Amino acid sequence: MRTGHFQETTGQLIALTDSPAVIGWTGVLIAGLLAAPLVVGNYELTLMVTVLIAVVGAVGLNLLTGTTGLISLGQAGFLAVGAYGNAVLMVDYGWPVWLSLPAGGVVSALISLLVGIPSLRLKGLYLAITTLAFSFIVSHVILYAEPITHGPNGIFVNGAKILGVNVQKGPALYYLTLFVAVCVVLMVLNMQRTRLGRGWLAIRDHDIAARAMGIDLTRYKLLAFVVSSFIVGIAGGLLSLQIRFINIDVFGLILSIEALAIIILGGMGSVAGAIMGAVFLTLLPEAIRIAFNLILTPGSAFYSTYVYEIRGVAYGAVIVAFLRFKPDGLIGLWRDARKYWSNWPLAY
Amino acid sequence: MSFLKLDGVTKTFGGLTAVNAVDLTVEKGQIYSLIGPNGAGKTTLFNLISSIFPVSAGRITFDGQDITRTPTHAMAGLGMARTFQNLAVFKHETVVNNILVGLHSSLRTDLFSAAIFWGRARREEIRARERAEEIIEFLEIEDLRDLPVGTLSYGQQKRVELGRALAVDPKLLLLDEMVSGMNQEEREEIGRFVLDLKEELGMTVFMVEHDMGIVMDISDRVCVMHHGSKIAEGTPAEVSADPVVIEAYLGSRSRAA
Ligand SMILES: Nc1ncnc2c1ncn2[C@@H]1O[C@H](COP(=O)(O)OP(=O)(O)O)[C@@H](O)[C@H]1O
Ligand SMILES: [Mg+2]
Repeated sequence: MRTGHFQETTGQLIALTDSPAVIGWTGVLIAGLLAAPLVVGNYELTLMVTVLIAVVGAVGLNLLTGTTGLISLGQAGFLAVGAYGNAVLMVDYGWPVWLSLPAGGVVSALISLLVGIPSLRLKGLYLAITTLAFSFIVSHVILYAEPITHGPNGIFVNGAKILGVNVQKGPALYYLTLFVAVCVVLMVLNMQRTRLGRGWLAIRDHDIAARAMGIDLTRYKLLAFVVSSFIVGIAGGLLSLQIRFINIDVFGLILSIEALAIIILGGMGSVAGAIMGAVFLTLLPEAIRIAFNLILTPGSAFYSTYVYEIRGVAYGAVIVAFLRFKPDGLIGLWRDARKYWSNWPLAY
Repeated sequence: MSFLKLDGVTKTFGGLTAVNAVDLTVEKGQIYSLIGPNGAGKTTLFNLISSIFPVSAGRITFDGQDITRTPTHAMAGLGMARTFQNLAVFKHETVVNNILVGLHSSLRTDLFSAAIFWGRARREEIRARERAEEIIEFLEIEDLRDLPVGTLSYGQQKRVELGRALAVDPKLLLLDEMVSGMNQEEREEIGRFVLDLKEELGMTVFMVEHDMGIVMDISDRVCVMHHGSKIAEGTPAEVSADPVVIEAYLGSRSRAA
């Protein structure tokens, strides 16, 4: 049985973690992630980039929906704005990618005010519908603002270089995405342990009490929108670098739903949960593909014919199962497991 | 100069006048109690003072400042904190985090320093955490520190809510039915805390309370509301001997029976 330990200074109390084990395992994880390109093949590396982009997007959405309690079905819209922001600035205006990528985030953050300000008084389902409508509007604007967005033709995103290295493929893309993901995670973890993060959580749990404690609802809700969309916009920019061709079809409703599914699955409000959810849901189709390949006779076209249907059913089943049996998500499972081991061999 | 002053404060909800032209004055350092039958308008009056609702008419001044139109979130910064009749804790958050929210308006961290969490933001968080620990010690809830508030007993949650209000470092503390739902022992402890606040910190406490034991024991002044209007005010002894008050209480009780 592990015993509790006690902190000596308040500095230790407010640290991100006080446990040597957590620091140790995080170190191992980071080392593993850094070494990955040396070990895994191209296909796996591409998959890892996809996972990391999902992590960035999920951590961003989680800030708005999980932490602040503002349900958004507009994730695809913010991803699109970030992706187009990055693509247009980089391709048509020749900005270097290290500038166009954050600039895409800034554009997304500014645009979020357009949906944030009018929906300040909305909550729950009403806000979900409003943000959904927002993402449709984004699609339309992109489609019709042809002089800027190339409309239905889409944009080829090529030639992103940092220090002369092409960062749109292989290890370079992977390291760029990893760097962004780590920065975003650290930033959000930090915000969550200051008055900002507590303000957001307070709004989610009890907005009247939050106001009585001095939290300006307007300001904090808009701040949550801005920070969240900045992060999601950057995820969109990374996506545009990875897939190298964007048009509005990339940013369909299904993307918003998947994003919400990720944070529900991971456990609302927790950064670690959002990460776990992103990893799990991004790899789920992969696991299904492998499973089908094992079951089906070689050469069967069943999986490739019904790939979208199979995925849809699997997503649905997983989400329903979690909502029914483990509403606090993967992070809840993780906490239970940890409690079990640290108390072992006692039951509680 | 009176500390908290209400002039003709009125609140109507549609056709219903929940608070009707109430005048009252709370002096600095007092424990001032507001009593009255259910539905008398006590909670509504608190909601007007803390600016949760705008007044329909009247004027409220606090510490020499007109606060009639001040937004709710500015109240904490002016030195006013409150608890709610029905628990209004952040139930998914730990006890420490609930109390830290009370410190919100005394902290300055902005977006960028929060994201970096270095230098000023870090120092500020350390100070905040130390202050939160002091409050936790004062309220004797050290063991609950890291538990989500939603998992605590009703009495414990009330105590956390009190702690959160104290974290505001208020000059005026509004307590709405603090001890309802508590057992006798818990009630006496809360009574003792409130007296400590007045005597050791010189805090002004304005409380809505149904527990006549506590009201009579610790109040400096008592105000009685009935059907939205103030019907009596005075020392505990004066009020409890007032025939108008007795009639209001007995009248409402016989109607309820
Ligand atoms: N938000 C509201 N909307 C409409 N009526 C309200 C509202 N809040 C309180 N009331 C009404 O105002 C009256 C006074 O209520 P309240 O202030 O809660 O009484 P007390 O706290 O003295 O029991 C009641 O008739 C109540 O129904
Ligand atoms: Mg009441």
